[in-house]
Amino acid sequence: MNAVLEGYDLVKRFGAAVALAGVGLAVGRGEAVAIMGPSGSGKSTLLHCLAGIMKPDAGEVRLLGQRVDTMRERERSALRRTRFGFVFQFGQLLPELPAEENVALPLMLGGVPRGDAVRRAREWFGPLGLGGMEERRPGELSGGQAQRVAIARALVTRPAVVFADEPTGALDQATGHDTMRLLVEATRGNEASLVVVTHDPQVARWCDRTVEVRDGRILSGEVRDGHAPGGPYPGHGSGEAVTRVFPGVSR
Amino acid sequence: MSGLLGLSWRLLRGGGRSGLLGAGLTAAAVAVSAALLLFAVSANLAFQGRADREAWRNPVEARTGAVAVEAVRRDYVRDRPITVVDLAALEPGASPPPGLDRFPAPGEVWFSPALAELARELPDGQLADRFPGKTGGVIGDEGLVHPGELLVVRGQEPDSPVMAATATDDPRGGAAPTKISDFTGKATSDAEGYQALALIATVLMVVPLLVFGGAAARLTVARRDQRLAALRLVGATPGQVVAMTVAEAVITAFGGALAGTVLYGLLIPVLTRIEIAGGSWFASDMWPGVPYTLAVLAAVPLLVGLSAVVGLRRVVVSPLGVAKRETPPAMRFVRVLALLAALAAVPALGAGTAAGVVAVVLGLAFLAINLTGPWVVGMIGRITARTARGPARLLAGRRLVDDPKAAWRTVSGVALTGFVAGFIGFLSPAGGLFGDADATTLRLSVPAARAPQLTAEARERLSAAGVPARVEVTGGGGRRVLTVAVGKAAGDEAGDGKAAGKDKDEEKAAREGASASGRSVEGSASAAAVDRARTALDGLVPGRGATTAADEEVFSVLLLGDIGTGTVVVLTVSFLVAIVSAGITAASSVLDRRQTYALLRLAGTPLEVLDRARRAETLIPLAVMGGGSIAVGVFCAVPFAFSSVNVSGMVILLVCVVLGFAGVTGAGAASAPLLRSVTADPAPRPD
Repeated sequence: MNAVLEGYDLVKRFGAAVALAGVGLAVGRGEAVAIMGPSGSGKSTLLHCLAGIMKPDAGEVRLLGQRVDTMRERERSALRRTRFGFVFQFGQLLPELPAEENVALPLMLGGVPRGDAVRRAREWFGPLGLGGMEERRPGELSGGQAQRVAIARALVTRPAVVFADEPTGALDQATGHDTMRLLVEATRGNEASLVVVTHDPQVARWCDRTVEVRDGRILSGEVRDGHAPGGPYPGHGSGEAVTRVFPGVSR
Repeated sequence: MSGLLGLSWRLLRGGGRSGLLGAGLTAAAVAVSAALLLFAVSANLAFQGRADREAWRNPVEARTGAVAVEAVRRDYVRDRPITVVDLAALEPGASPPPGLDRFPAPGEVWFSPALAELARELPDGQLADRFPGKTGGVIGDEGLVHPGELLVVRGQEPDSPVMAATATDDPRGGAAPTKISDFTGKATSDAEGYQALALIATVLMVVPLLVFGGAAARLTVARRDQRLAALRLVGATPGQVVAMTVAEAVITAFGGALAGTVLYGLLIPVLTRIEIAGGSWFASDMWPGVPYTLAVLAAVPLLVGLSAVVGLRRVVVSPLGVAKRETPPAMRFVRVLALLAALAAVPALGAGTAAGVVAVVLGLAFLAINLTGPWVVGMIGRITARTARGPARLLAGRRLVDDPKAAWRTVSGVALTGFVAGFIGFLSPAGGLFGDADATTLRLSVPAARAPQLTAEARERLSAAGVPARVEVTGGGGRRVLTVAVGKAAGDEAGDGKAAGKDKDEEKAAREGASASGRSVEGSASAAAVDRARTALDGLVPGRGATTAADEEVFSVLLLGDIGTGTVVVLTVSFLVAIVSAGITAASSVLDRRQTYALLRLAGTPLEVLDRARRAETLIPLAVMGGGSIAVGVFCAVPFAFSSVNVSGMVILLVCVVLGFAGVTGAGAASAPLLRSVTADPAPRPD
């Protein structure tokens, strides 16, 4: 497998509690992986270690062969800003910024001039079904719309990997499905990999592969077929979604 | 109720690190407020105490039952006033005045500690010789206005010429012999004036303090919103929710008030050193006493609780009390019109305008700035956001537009202090207005009939004391003025104007001392020589001392100095409040937005960007509004300014500007570690 992100023998302890007890995981280019498990299983810790948010106590994390776990905080911060994208459950958008500026923020942080950054941010609104919402503020968006803005923000820097932590946790089922579909499509359309932490099997079904975590160990790695780009989506028989063109693809 | 109180206490303790931090911030804010409130109360009591302790030297004539005669006059040594009290008992066993343990016997002299020390330090011919007689004792604190006061009480026979002296024209000069039945007396008009000024200063300090304390209370409530809404959802009644929140706020505030009392106690030694009316304070002056302390300890938590109730209304009304985040409508321009209207009235004012009118216009301008603040902040925000090129500026600008009132709250304290500083700074009289009066020509009012005889005697006494001086009689009518130009050439005195040899060294030292204290010393006459002359002339006219023009100005000079001191004290308190409130607001804004900040940091936003945004968010409005307030203050002062730009005023202004910026920057920077720590949480959740 052409791995983009690899974790080997990851160990993480919080005091006496062992969150990760030697976990290994590789994510291929354009692959969508769901990390599942009950509360306290260590799935969020695994995501934090893979994303360079936390340093594992032992083991290695590599992005395209480069060690991430040995980097200093400043370097990891820059890496998260440029090579990774993040979608959280909620609360990630700055309430005082219009949607387009929320999306443009990572670009501006990377030094892209404001006008250019906003222009590039706007390109994401149409494909994500957010046309006309550019100048609305997060308080004026529904939960699903806000998550789509977050997806745009995660992808606008064209990251190698997008990490999503319970991205549909605050949404109703139908909105959650729509959001997951867009997340998977848009990530794949950008040739980015996706790592989703969830406890919801419905969410996991959108991914190529599900990894079960229990007590800090991986139980199984089920590979699901038929989820190649352009394939049918569970519960949504049609393939209309792939007709969308995402900015990453058009370039 | 005790169950509710118990639950509140558990919620307060169990609020986790950030909850405790929030409570700690509120407690700290309340502590500062309580300490400053105690100071404000004590200051008034202290002036009251001075007035009371001075009252016995402002005798009230007894129609019947007189037991003693009291005469009071001012004498001077160097540039300091001495209060000379002459007492004669009319009946045996008259009760003694405050500070003396018995009524002084005729011929006895009682000194205040400071005067006794000064009399020992200076040569006898300059001071001690004025008060011959057996030392009766030392005057205790209860008879002194301030610890450094120069006071002498002399026992006299009732038929002594001193007890028959006539009154001087200046009420500050003392009181003519007055028959009294006891030493109650009444407060002097000066003391009453100081009490009035203290009251104004108190208002200037207390109003921002109350606003600040209230804001601190609402701050606690704001963070409790969500949790209390949750309590409402599980079925707590509005009454229970209010009771719990108020209990929590009151518990926190009480802790803060206690800490503030301790803090104030620790500050007393520093505060007693503030010199007003020529002296510092007794430690007991600055201690408000148990009843007032208890009143502050009770009132502060009560006020905080009240603010909490007001802040809670929203949550109680709706269990889903979380505000919807939308672009708020822009502030109304009417706010600016209010300021313009208030300012339009200013040019109509002048030195002749009634004080009440001036106070009202100033108050309106003060309020109008406060009204205009959010509007201007919103406008600056829009400009900043529109012109921002980098993320930090953009974040700052958007935040200013989002909640201009909150941004204004952060800087309003400093900006309003800017108004006060601008007004006072421009208005404060130049140092040279007083203090350059003639300090070398002594004047003594004498009866016309005895003028020639007294002139001759004066010359004789001065020559015996070795003080060269020209003695003349001026004026007309029943009383003439004997003028003694110390050190001046005079036809019949040691001619060339040089001081006698034995005075030379002494004189040189004194001249240096005098010029250092800002008093001019003309020719070869020195402060020492003037004091020798004063001592030599003492008793020439019973009950009167010779004074210079500079002596008569001493009280004006003191008053001006005191206005300066008062300004510095009020500005210091304002700045303390402003900076602490800026710090609290900065910290609470970090706490309130910790989830968003933490998620931004997880997504790789450098902390420096967040810090820079937070800094811009306060400093940009501070620069605009602080500058604007100073300008408005100066504008309001223009109609009253008697001199052009004055240096000391500008120095005050400049110091204020530097302190304001440094303080607010520092207060904001103080919350940077907090930002670091709250954003270190990898799984941030809202409260």
